Amino acid sequence: MEIGGRMLWPLLSGLGRRKGTRGWAFSSWQPCRPLAGLLSATELVSHWTAVFEKRGIPEAQASSEYIVAHVLGAKTFQSLRPVLRTQSLTPWQLQYVQKLSGYRLQRMPVQYILGEWDFQGLTLKMAPPVFIPRPETEGLVEWVLEEVAQSSCAAGAQGGPLILEVGCGSGAISLSLLSQLPQSRVIAVDKGEAAICLTQENAQRLRLLDRIQIIPLDVTLEGSWAHLLPWGPMDLIVSNPPYVFHQDMEQLAPEIRSYEDPVALDGGKEGMDIITHILALAPWLLKDSGSIFLEVDPRHPELVGSWLQSRSDLSLDLVAVRQDFCGRPRFLHIQRSGPQHGCPVEARPGPQPARVPG
Amino acid sequence: MSRHLCAWLFRHSSHNGPHQCHIHPQSRQFTQRHLDTRLWVFRQNRQPPLRHLLDKNCPRRYCLQDTRMLWKHKALQKYMEGLSKEYRTLDQSLQRVSVNDGDRRAWTRRHAELAPLTTIYQEIQEAEQAIEELDSMCKSLNQEDEKQLQELALEERQTIAQKIKMLYSELFQSLVPKEKYDKNDVILEVTSGRTTGGDICQQFTREIFDMYQNYSSYKNWKFELLNYTPADYGGLHHAAARISGNAVYRHLKYEGGIHRVQRIPEVGLSARMQRIHTGTMSVIVLPQPDEVDVKIDPKDLRIDTFRAKGAGGQHVNTTDSAVRLVHVPTGLVVECQQERSQIKNKEIALRVLRARLYQQIIEKDKCQQQSTRKLQVGTRAQSERIRTYNFTQDRVTDHRIAYEVRDIKEFLCGEKCLDQLIQRLLHSADEEAITEFLDENLKSTK
Repeated sequence: MEIGGRMLWPLLSGLGRRKGTRGWAFSSWQPCRPLAGLLSATELVSHWTAVFEKRGIPEAQASSEYIVAHVLGAKTFQSLRPVLRTQSLTPWQLQYVQKLSGYRLQRMPVQYILGEWDFQGLTLKMAPPVFIPRPETEGLVEWVLEEVAQSSCAAGAQGGPLILEVGCGSGAISLSLLSQLPQSRVIAVDKGEAAICLTQENAQRLRLLDRIQIIPLDVTLEGSWAHLLPWGPMDLIVSNPPYVFHQDMEQLAPEIRSYEDPVALDGGKEGMDIITHILALAPWLLKDSGSIFLEVDPRHPELVGSWLQSRSDLSLDLVAVRQDFCGRPRFLHIQRSGPQHGCPVEARPGPQPARVPG
Repeated sequence: MSRHLCAWLFRHSSHNGPHQCHIHPQSRQFTQRHLDTRLWVFRQNRQPPLRHLLDKNCPRRYCLQDTRMLWKHKALQKYMEGLSKEYRTLDQSLQRVSVNDGDRRAWTRRHAELAPLTTIYQEIQEAEQAIEELDSMCKSLNQEDEKQLQELALEERQTIAQKIKMLYSELFQSLVPKEKYDKNDVILEVTSGRTTGGDICQQFTREIFDMYQNYSSYKNWKFELLNYTPADYGGLHHAAARISGNAVYRHLKYEGGIHRVQRIPEVGLSARMQRIHTGTMSVIVLPQPDEVDVKIDPKDLRIDTFRAKGAGGQHVNTTDSAVRLVHVPTGLVVECQQERSQIKNKEIALRVLRARLYQQIIEKDKCQQQSTRKLQVGTRAQSERIRTYNFTQDRVTDHRIAYEVRDIKEFLCGEKCLDQLIQRLLHSADEEAITEFLDENLKSTK
């Protein structure tokens, strides 16, 4: 923050000169403190939009709107109570807006600046460098929910499905599934410690801790799946694995490159590194006709399809591809067709293994 | 009770063709003497013996008179007679043993339906009888010494008359055709007009929107903002809200239409010159459908978002969650950016779209239903001017029922004043509906 504040100084003084008294309002600790209260939310938004635009910050207006709305206690500027738009802000609020806008000038993603973001109607805490859930992923959750609803209709609905999420990040997918499937349980794994902590915290805030098991685990390590066996065969595996092609990593926006954990994004040469690991461990963990739902790059459906054909030993079939809201092929439904692979039945743990400890 | 009934009775009385008459029966001052005289003659013909007595002693005679007129009309009487007869027949049939189960169930249901109506009808008849008896007694009590008794009789008569009035309104309520969408929640949209007085329109739009927000809290309804596009100087271009609660559509359905404002702008040349400007804003009230009422094929939808360009997914991290929904077959466009979650914005937009499509269906329905009706209040297209807010004269006028409110500020608070007007509109609409209903009935029995 300190840096952010200092960076603003030349800007603010320049503004002061240009626009007269108005600019001074921003530097609320300046001698002209009484003027501080004169700026309304609407004016503040247009001011910061102009500043962001001048400095080449993407989504200038949206960013300034989110920041001002956040300071005034609303989620979006659109949902801000009309009265609050024209009312003057307090010096403290102005200072807060200024502080947050300073972060934005350094290209920090708005989600990290606000420290929270919404996913599927849940408000989740966001903290760098944990991956920020993208809106496309809401579509993945929708699809899983649809499938669960359908299959539970067919099966006569006894209890919810047991779901494994690989690479839970902030917990967005797991927690939104849990909140909408009151009978189900989730095993969420991630190799990053920050992600594990954040998922834990979000689960606690949303009071979903009793149905989620959060395990630090790197699925790329040999035999890692064995650690998951005690939790029983899964009905579903869901994942939004890192799928950016390694060569594309450099072209990502500064917001992503400098703030988000590259491990959550970089999928290796063809973006398939983690995807193939997930597919390889799936047969060990899935129930007989269990499913995998993945979010992938639009180039992946074809790649994954042919990879699965070359690995017929896995007994996995790509059964459906779904597009995201922009019409890009984005989600895969892969189903286990054959009997349990490679793992002798007697080697499996009992039907109800040790429950969630603690 | 009102001029609609008068008008209606006029239409069916022998002297007159269809007439629109503007008489306010409650007010003692007759503004339109000509028509009123006719009405007078008409009333005299109907009830000559009571006239004199009533005039002197019943201060609320007009209200009573109107209900009685409705009652006296053969259409209603015939209708009620028909129902009573049906009820008696059912009563007898049900007492017979040899009725099969299917019939019995249907009859029992109809029997239960008719029971309250016939009870009221019977009570009214009895009360009328009592009044007639009292009247004939009064007529025979002319001497001075019997004055005390006469007063007593009149008192008694008033009590019964009051009771009859209540019974009538009860009957009236049960006869009013219920509207299908009355219980629904609504989506209320306000849009500023585009006349030259732009600023006053936008300011006025904000005031009206605030009024409905206050009215919602006054009525304990839930008010969710769906969209809010502010204008300069604290004005409002457009806004939409979802209002849910008890019978919201019933109360707000007559608020849809053009609201006109007349005021001196607060800034600019006209402000200095004290020139009065006229502006407008429009209110649209859409009943919120249930999911089953309107099916939308996902194929007919085009969804525009700010992520449409580029690779999407993990490659980008944008925050603009605004959604623009285009319904291709109708060309309807709905936007939403209330939420940070895109999928929630889409849900809201879909809800609004569904309400708009629903409105189209309803309009079509209504056009068919009421092709012959010329309603004063009713459901005219929401493009007609319904009310004027004259700030310079501090007066709100509703053009449909010629109703005036004096205190604009109080009215815009969206509490009692607005509620009173809304109740009045509802009442007038009910009267129109029942008048039409009887009209139809009369035609079909002729």
